Parts: sequence; structure tokens; C-alpha cells
Amino acid sequence: MFDAQSINLSLEILAVAILVTAFLIVSSRSLLFYVRLFSVQSFLLGLVAVVVATGFGEFHILVAAVLTIGVKAIAIPYVLNKIIDRIKVHKEIEFNLNITTSLLVCGLLVILADSVGKPIIDAQVMHALPVSKVLPESIAMMMIGLFIMLARKQAVSQIVGLLTLENGLFLSGLSITYGMPLIVEIGIFFDILVAALILGVFVFRINETFDTVSVDTLRRLKD
Amino acid sequence: MSEFVYTAVVSILQLLVVLLLAPLATGIIRKTKARLQNRRGASVVQPYYDLTKLFKKEVVLPSTASWIFRFTPYIVFGSTLAIALLVPTIATPVPFHWIGDIITVIYLFAVGRFFVALAGLDTGTAFGGLGSSREMSLASIIEPAMMLAVFTVAVTAGSTDLSIIVSRLSFTPVSIIHPSHLLAFVGLFIVTIAETGRIPVDNPATHLELTMIHEAMILEYSGRYLACIEWASQMKLFVFMALIANMFMPLGIATSFSFVALAIGLGAFIVKVSILAILVALVESSNAKLRLFRVPELLMVAFVLSLLALILYFIIGS
Repeated sequence: MFDAQSINLSLEILAVAILVTAFLIVSSRSLLFYVRLFSVQSFLLGLVAVVVATGFGEFHILVAAVLTIGVKAIAIPYVLNKIIDRIKVHKEIEFNLNITTSLLVCGLLVILADSVGKPIIDAQVMHALPVSKVLPESIAMMMIGLFIMLARKQAVSQIVGLLTLENGLFLSGLSITYGMPLIVEIGIFFDILVAALILGVFVFRINETFDTVSVDTLRRLKD
Repeated sequence: MSEFVYTAVVSILQLLVVLLLAPLATGIIRKTKARLQNRRGASVVQPYYDLTKLFKKEVVLPSTASWIFRFTPYIVFGSTLAIALLVPTIATPVPFHWIGDIITVIYLFAVGRFFVALAGLDTGTAFGGLGSSREMSLASIIEPAMMLAVFTVAVTAGSTDLSIIVSRLSFTPVSIIHPSHLLAFVGLFIVTIAETGRIPVDNPATHLELTMIHEAMILEYSGRYLACIEWASQMKLFVFMALIANMFMPLGIATSFSFVALAIGLGAFIVKVSILAILVALVESSNAKLRLFRVPELLMVAFVLSLLALILYFIIGS
């Protein structure tokens, strides 16, 4: 349909756009903004899946694409917005690491991800799928997601970090193997959806019990 | 002879486009903002009326002001006009592109900034000094971010000469486009917002904020001096938008010297700048002004993105 070069180019541009959303999450303080960015990020991820599906004739990925957009770009953000409304916390005040340093660390993480991902692609040059060029970006996404969970204190931001990490996993699965088998993929989606719901209830309970959603207070849980 | 005609016509066009269209771009931004806030807003040509009125008004000089205060408006205006000769707007290559490349442009901006900051200090008022110190401290993050962003594009095109960059990108747009351009674009856009003093970094519409930056420095100016500075800052915004428009979307720019090509170039340029102006207005309407201590965080985003753009270019390869 299209030539491989332009498909690759659009994939890389989408992957970089996803990376930009991850950076914007790291740079912001507003919980609602995190959620909106996560929604945009998932939507772009869905687009990546659509491009891979139509570009390389792997049409089973379309199902995963629809699920990504439906579950991650619409359903989960909706749930998270509900939680934020309920707990009435809109801003992140305290950080384990301030934003400027966080950004620099994330920059370093991307470089690290590239130096890890690049040899893998080079070693596989004969058998690599054309999509695997986005592998470094997906590793970077996973690390940034993990980093968000480490650097932020609010429970909601930790959920967003976890979800970002999951988006990175999905992207890497897509780039190495054209995605996992459909049944596994669907399982993961329901997992994530249920996880977001349960974590949401959790956040709500934490807030009710401690009057705060900072996970620091959980350390005081002793019997 | 035709060489001379080309130089003269394109240079004069270039200057006229920047001089005359810059207030219009500001007008479009203000109108869009007003519309987004459910106001009618002033007409898009209002900035022209403002400038003519200011030129007619009497100049009031503070008694403590030295020659720096009086010269600064002309230096700022002149350096911005010099930049206008170097940044391709409707046609490329611009005739005077041998005068200087992108680094010259960055430092011409720095000259303007330096003198405005000096003039802010010159009058000895508290606000002036405040504005100058803020401007210079923010500039120390803005400048490297801007350099990294434009160097990314320069590296892809293989030259730091703006005209050559734009020409190469416009001849082979698809093969030369690189994912890291996206990062550089976001970086340069944030730099534009910060450099031209728009919300969320600075509020161009008021003199009544303690967090003002640019307005604090020029608080003592009046009459034609104020007109020069206002016009220069409108041109600065315009030149930045031209830079973004032509470096990242060089479609339609005139690469040959003919009436049709120049007309298409002008049309495409106006469309591109209007889109960017509306984008700026959207950003301004959907964000609140940041607290001054938060501004470095925003600029840090621009810096890290631009840095990544450059690094990714070398890692991903072309």
C-alpha cells in the first residue's frame, strides 16, 4: 500500500510524539493534565498499532488498536478523572525529586534506552522486523514510567506511571513481535482496566483513611 | 544586472513583509484570544493604529536617563530588522544570506536583549532592574535551548546557513525529515513563547503584574521610543514564527525568482504564520501565567527536548 520507508518514518515520528507526552507528564504538576496526556499518549499508541496493522498487513493488530484506544485512551482516563474529582486533589505539591532534575534524569534514561536498544536491533539486522526501530523509544517509555512511580508521591501519579510503563511494554511488544497473540493482548487489556479500577478504589480508601493520597503515609501502617 | 535586481527586490520584499505583517500577526493573536474568551475583541489591524498613535505622541524622558536609554529603541529595532534580512520568509535563498547564519541571528537577538536590559537598569527604577535581572536569568536557559533546537535542523540539512537549510528542506522534504525534528519543534515553540514574552512565561497585555518581565524593563518608555520597542517585539515574534514555519514546514516557499513563485510563497507564508499565531493564542488562552519560579521548569522541558533531539539524531542516524 505504502512504501516501507514512509511507514517507518511515520512510526518513528509517532514514537517520538509518544515520548514527548511522557516528558510532558514528567514536567507537569496537575493531576488532570497527567490524565489528559496519558489519554493522548494511548491514542498515539493506538495509531502506531493501526499503522503497523495496515502497513504490514497484520490485521489482527487492529483489534489491539481498537482496544488500546477504547480502554486506555477513553475508559481509564474517565475512571481516573472520576477519582480525581472524588478525592478533590488536583495538584502535586511534594516530590521525591524536583521537576528540573526529573527532566534531566529522564533525558539520561532515553540515552540509556537507546544505547541498550540499539545493539539489539543491530544484532538482529537480518531477522528484525521493520518496526523494531522504535524499540529504543519503547524501552525509554518503560523506564520513564518506572521513574514517574519513583519520583512522585501521589497515588494517582503512581497509577499514571504504571500505565505509562504498560504503554511502553505494549509498544515494545509491537516492535519486536508485531504484538503478542490476540488472546494474551485482550487478557492484558482487561488486566489493566481492572487494575486501574482497583487502584482507583484503593486511592479513594487511602484518601478516606488518611485524608491524603500521598503514599508516604502508608509507611505508618504497622500493627 | 539581474543579480542586482534580484537582490534589491527580494531584500525589499523581505523587509516589507516583516515590517508590515508583524503587527498583523499580533493582531491575529489578540483577536483569536478575544474570540476564545467570548469577547468581540479589537480589529486585527488595531496594532497598526496603536503604533501610529505612539509615533505621534510626545516623548517623556526620565531625568536620570543616559544616552543608553535613548539609543536602545533604535538598536533593538535595527537588530531586529537585520535579523529580518537573514531569515527566509517568502523566498529562499535570501540575497544577504552570506552576512550571517543561524548563530548570527541568535546573537543579534542577544544584542537587542542586552540593550533592553541595560536600558531597564539605566533609569534606576526598581521595576526596571527587576525586569532586567529576570530577563537575563531566563535568557541563560532560553539561549542554549534555542541553539540546540536549531542545530538539530542545521545538522539534518548539513549547514548552519538559514537559507541553505530552508532550500534543502524544501527541495527534498520527505527524505530529510527526521523524527528528532518533532522534538526540536516542541522545544523551539516553547522557546518562542518564552523569548517573545507570551503567557505562560510573561503577560504581554498588562503592566500591572509583579511577575512581569519584558514590560517591567520598558516601563519608562513613551512616544516614538515605545513605538520602536513595541514594533521590534512584534517583529521578533513574527521572525520566530517565520523561523519555525520555514524550518519545519518549508512547503510553498519561493525557490525561484518569478512573480508567480513569489506570490505563492507569500500566500503560503501568510497561511503558515496565521496557523502559528492561532496556535500561540490557543496556548495563551488555555494556560495560566506561571509563577516566576516555575518558569525555569518549563524552559527546562524545552532544553531537554532540544538536547534529546540533537542526541537522537546521532543515535538513530539519518
